[in-house]
Parts: sequence; structure tokens; C-alpha cells
Amino acid sequence: MDNKGSSQKAGSLLLLLLLVSNLLLCKSVASLPICPSGAVNCQVSLRDLFDRAVILSHYIHNLSSEMFNEFDKRYAQGRGFITKAINSCHTSSLSTPEDKEQAQQVHHEVLLSMILGVLRSWNDPLYHLVTEVRGMQEAPDAILSRAIEIEEQNKRLLEGMEKIVGQVHPGVKENEVYSVWSGLPSLQMADEDTRLFAFYNLLHCLRRDSHKIDSYLKLLKCRIVYDSNC
Amino acid sequence: MKENVASTVVFILLLFLNTNLLNGQSPPGKPEIFKCRSPEKETFTCWWKPGADGGLPTNYTLTYHKEGETFTHECPDYKTSGPNSCYFNKKHTSIWTIYIITVNATNQMGSSSSDPRYVDVTYIVEPDPPVNLTLELKQPEDRKPYLWIKWFPPTLVDVRSGWLTLQYEIRLKPEKAAEWETHFAGQQTQFKILSLYPGQKYLVQVHCKPDHGFWSEWSPESSIPIPNDFSMTDATVWIFVAVLSAVICLIMVWAVALKGYSMVTCILPPVPGPKIKGFDTHLLEGKSEELLSALGCQDFPPTSDCEDLLVEFLEVDDSGDQQLVPAHSKEHPGQSVKPTHSDPDSDSGRGSCDSPSLLSEKCDEPRANPSKFHTPEGLEKAEKPETNVTQPQGPQSTSVEGKIPSFHASGSQSSTWPLLQPPSLHYSRSSYHSVAEVRKLGLGTAGAASTLLDKTDTRALKPSQTIETGGEGKAAEHRESESFRSKTDQDAARLLPQDKTPLTSAKPLEYVEIHKVSKDGALALLPKQNENSSRAEKTSTPETSKEYSKVSRVMDSDILVLVQDRRAQNLAPFEEPAKEAPPSLPQNPAAVDLASFPVAPSNCRLQLGGLDYLHPTGFMHPFQ
Repeated sequence: MDNKGSSQKAGSLLLLLLLVSNLLLCKSVASLPICPSGAVNCQVSLRDLFDRAVILSHYIHNLSSEMFNEFDKRYAQGRGFITKAINSCHTSSLSTPEDKEQAQQVHHEVLLSMILGVLRSWNDPLYHLVTEVRGMQEAPDAILSRAIEIEEQNKRLLEGMEKIVGQVHPGVKENEVYSVWSGLPSLQMADEDTRLFAFYNLLHCLRRDSHKIDSYLKLLKCRIVYDSNC
Repeated sequence: MKENVASTVVFILLLFLNTNLLNGQSPPGKPEIFKCRSPEKETFTCWWKPGADGGLPTNYTLTYHKEGETFTHECPDYKTSGPNSCYFNKKHTSIWTIYIITVNATNQMGSSSSDPRYVDVTYIVEPDPPVNLTLELKQPEDRKPYLWIKWFPPTLVDVRSGWLTLQYEIRLKPEKAAEWETHFAGQQTQFKILSLYPGQKYLVQVHCKPDHGFWSEWSPESSIPIPNDFSMTDATVWIFVAVLSAVICLIMVWAVALKGYSMVTCILPPVPGPKIKGFDTHLLEGKSEELLSALGCQDFPPTSDCEDLLVEFLEVDDSGDQQLVPAHSKEHPGQSVKPTHSDPDSDSGRGSCDSPSLLSEKCDEPRANPSKFHTPEGLEKAEKPETNVTQPQGPQSTSVEGKIPSFHASGSQSSTWPLLQPPSLHYSRSSYHSVAEVRKLGLGTAGAASTLLDKTDTRALKPSQTIETGGEGKAAEHRESESFRSKTDQDAARLLPQDKTPLTSAKPLEYVEIHKVSKDGALALLPKQNENSSRAEKTSTPETSKEYSKVSRVMDSDILVLVQDRRAQNLAPFEEPAKEAPPSLPQNPAAVDLASFPVAPSNCRLQLGGLDYLHPTGFMHPFQ
């Protein structure tokens, strides 16, 4: 009986230790959400928010790049799609910096809103991309799984960005500017060539925009968190 | 006419062309843009490969237009990146924009254009190698020595603003080695190497990769010699070895402790004790005498026939004066020998050393060998060329009286019938026993006699001989043996009795020889009593002995019905049947109900259910 009691005590002590260590460690774990959505005075540091955001944006671009390469290899060989995919991204209406100097001249608030605009512009296309890839003949799993993952992570990045904006510019009412995507009919075209080009174009634009977001976020992180001394 | 003109013109043109060709001049071949690269995602360069120049000086121009623009530009810089290249500086570089670039080759004869190349600077980033690779050997006092490698990112790359994020990889090898040892360093610009071979010169290189680009070239080699006294020994290694050996020792000790005994027995198997079949260990319980007698086996001569001497016996209790009267005996006048008492036999007679059932009377109770009679084959066993019938002595014989064929063993002696010749294979052992026993017993007998017996036994050993099947043969065999005996009468006569002589002197036994077996399965028994009688050691009272020497039949698989042979000298119809065996034979057969033997209060134990064997020392006892 004594053994039981002592073991129980030891077990509870261990549990307590684990709990405390978890609480201490949780602060540095990017994946654990500490601030529930809607909390006003959340104390997650800006550094952690940016670290998480950069990780997500980097991951999303990697997935987009792989997805594009997979599609290009499978469906677009010899069709000369690249020649047609010129100036065909729906987010080109959003004026975004085109090189490093321009990006560094943009104020970080503006840059943040631009990032948010691009992210929001992709909510709808990503949703339809998943649906339409599923309907493709021999729905390629490599493309479909990545599309699903990108859609999921894009939502999370959007939430993270909104948190960052809440910390960097608390209380600023923001215009939700984003581009409307109207490429759905093309994705559903009966003509295979047209439809495939629509997919190609969509994936091409996704790859580009994800890279753009990633670059902007890394610039912002180094600028805001590390004071331009990464 | 017009046709003539046309053909002439064509002819002249062809001539012209041929002339030009003969001169070796032609428009330039088609150039090809084979590589475009940006070292820092801020500028980029494209290189082309010229085609055939056609023998004439060719001029190359690069033109491009950007995505979303219609205006065509020409290369801003042909020089910076070397021949056949075009360098786009920062002003002319836009990220996330597709450039459509074309190279035109022009010479006197004509021009040709390359295929347009679609370039997006975003995806062609390949930085320069890292710079300022430094190597340093550090040997702190209280820590392990190590090699400290440091470098700097390439000069053009802007890492501080976060425009590019670089990851590094180093590789090193001893100068003479063939393979490089590669280590990933992440985003840090330094690295520590702990495992180095002293006395060698090491070469180190580093390269880098942007977050979404290509690996750079390897930096130039840096070398560093490692001094010979670069001690890499570590106390932790010794500690680890010590701990490991301690753990192993503990495990071994624990294993030995737990399984020590079984291990020892595995390595040194214990000497197996003698296994005596039929030895009933419970007989030894609480009986020191029996134990002693059991231990008395030590004197047994060490022969391989030890087992052979384990004889299955049917104890014949010759109650009182009764003796088995043989059917007819030429040689044996039918005197049964009354064995003298021997020291009380505490042994059950079955498998104990000291159960000289043949030779001494140990038990008053009738003993039988139930196994023999339990089966029809037992009946076969009952067919023996010789049987030992101990002469019961004492009052117990009277108790036996009621049972005939009750071969009671009077007193403490158990008389048993050595199953010398079990015809069936099942009991071949007993035949061996008998032979061996006889041999043993007849140590002093003539060899011929032994041989005789051997032969007899050998023949008896033939499995084909069964009572049922080879009754006649058996009888013939016995007759044969008899004839043999007649020849060597003296010897033979002395054989068994002689064997028995020393035995009988101490523990006189009465042997009943199976004279013959009749067709109906009746055993004709011949007591070898003439020898015994000659010894004048007999105390038999043949007159009143009732001898049943003929096995009539076997009933119920455990009742041997013996018939009194009319031809026996001493005949006394014995009418009382055995307990459970209703005698129904004309000759007043007495059924041998093995199960009905009374258990005398003697030390003898009646083994009814199991195989009973005599311990060899039981036979040897008289010789001591």
C-alpha cells in the first residue's frame, strides 16, 4: 500500500513537472497557439509571430513550386503554355514592389496590407483548384494533396498575418483589398487544351505569388524583428 | 522565250549561290541562349552560344521584352559578364516578371535569331561561393580540442535585409583521402569539427544555397595540418566502456545466480542414477531395511548384464508342504525343495536388490507376477523351462493352501518364477534375465550346462514361440532341452540346481520347469526336485504337496488356470479354487488369481499391478 501511495505521489509530481515544463516550453514552439483568436492583450511576441509566418510562407512556396513542376512535367510538355501565360495572373492588378529596392522603400504597414491582399486574393482560387484537380482525369495525387495542403496553410498564414497586423498596427481599420479571381470557367472548360492551360496558368501564378509573399515576409521580419540585421 | 529567261535567271542565281558557298560565306547560324543566372536576386546574366558564323564577322545582339510590356529593349551590357553574354543590372532587373530574350546573329550574308527564352529571375538564383574560409585549431584546457571553421557569405548577397536567406554546407577530408566528409551547417557561418585524425593535413570547402535557389560552387580549398599531439582521447569513452562492462558483468552475475544450477547441470550433467524398471520407490519409504537392501546393490558385480538380471518373477508360494509336482519327470523325481529361510526379506521382491525370490524365501505371501498373467502373453511367460518355487515354510503355507496354484512364498521369501523364456518379444528381457541369471547362478556349473541353457533360452527367445501358437514346438523345445539335460544330466541336473545350490543352500528355491505346453495351453511343469533332493537340504514334504504344474487356461486375462497334472507324483486334487476364479476344469484346476494373493504381513510386498522385477543383488545374495 505504501508503494502505491508513493508511486501515486511520484506520478502526480511528474505530471505537475511535465505541465510546468510544457507551459514554459510552449512559448517557443511555433505550432502551439497560445493566443486564442479574439484575444486582445495577447502576449505572443512579434518575433514568434513572424517566425511562424515565415515558416508557413516558405512551406507554401515549396509546395507550390513542386506542384507546378509536377503539372508541367505531366501535362504541359510540348504545349508551349509558357508563351501564353504572360501577364495573366489575376493578382497583377495589385501593385506590388518588383524588386528589392522598391520593397525596401515601401513602409511595412503598406507591405503588410499588400501581403494580406495577395493572400486574400488566393482564398477562392485555391478552393476551386482543389475541387477541379479532384475532377481531373487520373487525379494526380501529388498535385491534389499539395493543393489541399496549400489551401489549408494559406488560411493559417492569413490568420497569422492578421495577428501581426493587430500587433504592428493595432486598431487600424484596414481596407480589405484583394483581387477577384475569375478563372473558374476556364478550369471547367470542356476543351482539354484550354482547361489544361487554365490549370497551368493558375499554378504558375500561385508559384509566383507565394514566392512574393515569402520574400516580403522575410524582408519584414528582418526589418521589424531584427532591425535589418538578420 | 520567257521560259528561257526565267530559267536563265534561276541558273544565274544558283551560280551566285554556289559561288558564295564556294567562298565559304553564309549567314550566321542560329545562336542559342544556354544559361541565365542571378547571383543575388537583384541582377542577372544570360550567356549564349553562337552558331556557325558563316565565315564572316557576325554581330550578335540580344533583345528582350518584359511581361506586360510591349517595348523591346536591347541588352544593356555585353561586357561585364564576358563574351557572348548580357548582364542586366539592378535597374534593368525586375523580379517576378518574365523576360522574353532573343539573340540575333547578323553578318554580311544574313542574320538569324535564336529561340526566345522565357526567364523569370525568381527561379534562376545561384549565388557565389562563400568567402573568407578560415580554419583554426582550438584546444581548450578543460574541453576536447576541435577544429573551428568560419566563413562569410558571398559579398553580393544581401542577407542582412533578409532579401536572401542562405544555408551552408561544408566538407572536409584528409589530404590523401578519396571521399569528402560533408556536414550541413544551416544558416550559421561557423562550424566545429571534433573528430580528426592527428598528424594529417585536412582540406576544407564550403558552399551555400539560397532559400529557393541553387547551390553555389564550392569555395577554394583551405588546408590545415593537424599536429601529432592532437589528443582526441576522451574520458567519456573510458567511462562508457567501464559502464558497459559493469553492466555486462552485472547481467552475467544475475544470470548465473538465477540459472546457476541449470547452467551447471548443463555443463556438468549429473551422473544418472541407476534406473531400475519396476522399482517402486515408495517401497523404500520409511523402511530403512529396504533402503539398505536397496543400497545393497552396490555389491552387484559390474556387468553390463545388470539389467538383465532384473527378472520378472512369478512368485510361487508353495504353501506349507505343497510342492509343485511335475507332470512327469524323468530327471526330477518331483521333489520340491524346501528352501530354507533366509533373512527376512524386506523387499517387495519387485525390483529391489534384495528380493532373491528365486533363492530365498522372503515373503510368506504369495507373489505373483501379475503382469505375466494379466495378458495372454503372460501366459506365455508362464511357460518357463524352469520355475523357482520356493518352498513355503511356516504357517503361512497353510494360508496358501487355499489357493492353488498358490505359489505362495512362505515366510519372507518370495518364490518367483524366473521368466526365462518369454516367448514373446514383449518379455524378451525377462528371458535375458533368466539366461543371465542362470549364468550368474551357475557360475560353477559346467559350461555345457550353461550352454545348454543358453541354447534353450535362445530358442525360447524366439518370438514366434508362443504357447498358443507353438505349443507343440515349445514342448518340443522343452523336450529338447530335456534331452539335452539328459545328456548332460549331471550337469544339467546340476545346472539349475547347482545354480540354485548355493542359492538354495542359503535360500533354497524350488524351480519348476515347464515341461511342456499342451495344445490347450496347459503348462506342464516339471519341478527340478531331484537335484534339490540330492542335496538333502530339502525339507519338502512332497507327499502332501499339491503341485499344479499344468496351466489349463487363462481366464479373464488375469487368472491363470493351472491344472494338476495327474502324472505328477504327488497328486492331490486340489479343489479349492482361487478366490475369484471358479474352477471349472475337470482336473480341478486351480486358477491363479494373482489378485487374490493375500497380503501377508511380512515385509514382502505384493506387486499386483506393476511389473515386478527382482533386483540382481537378490540373486547374488547367496554368493556373498
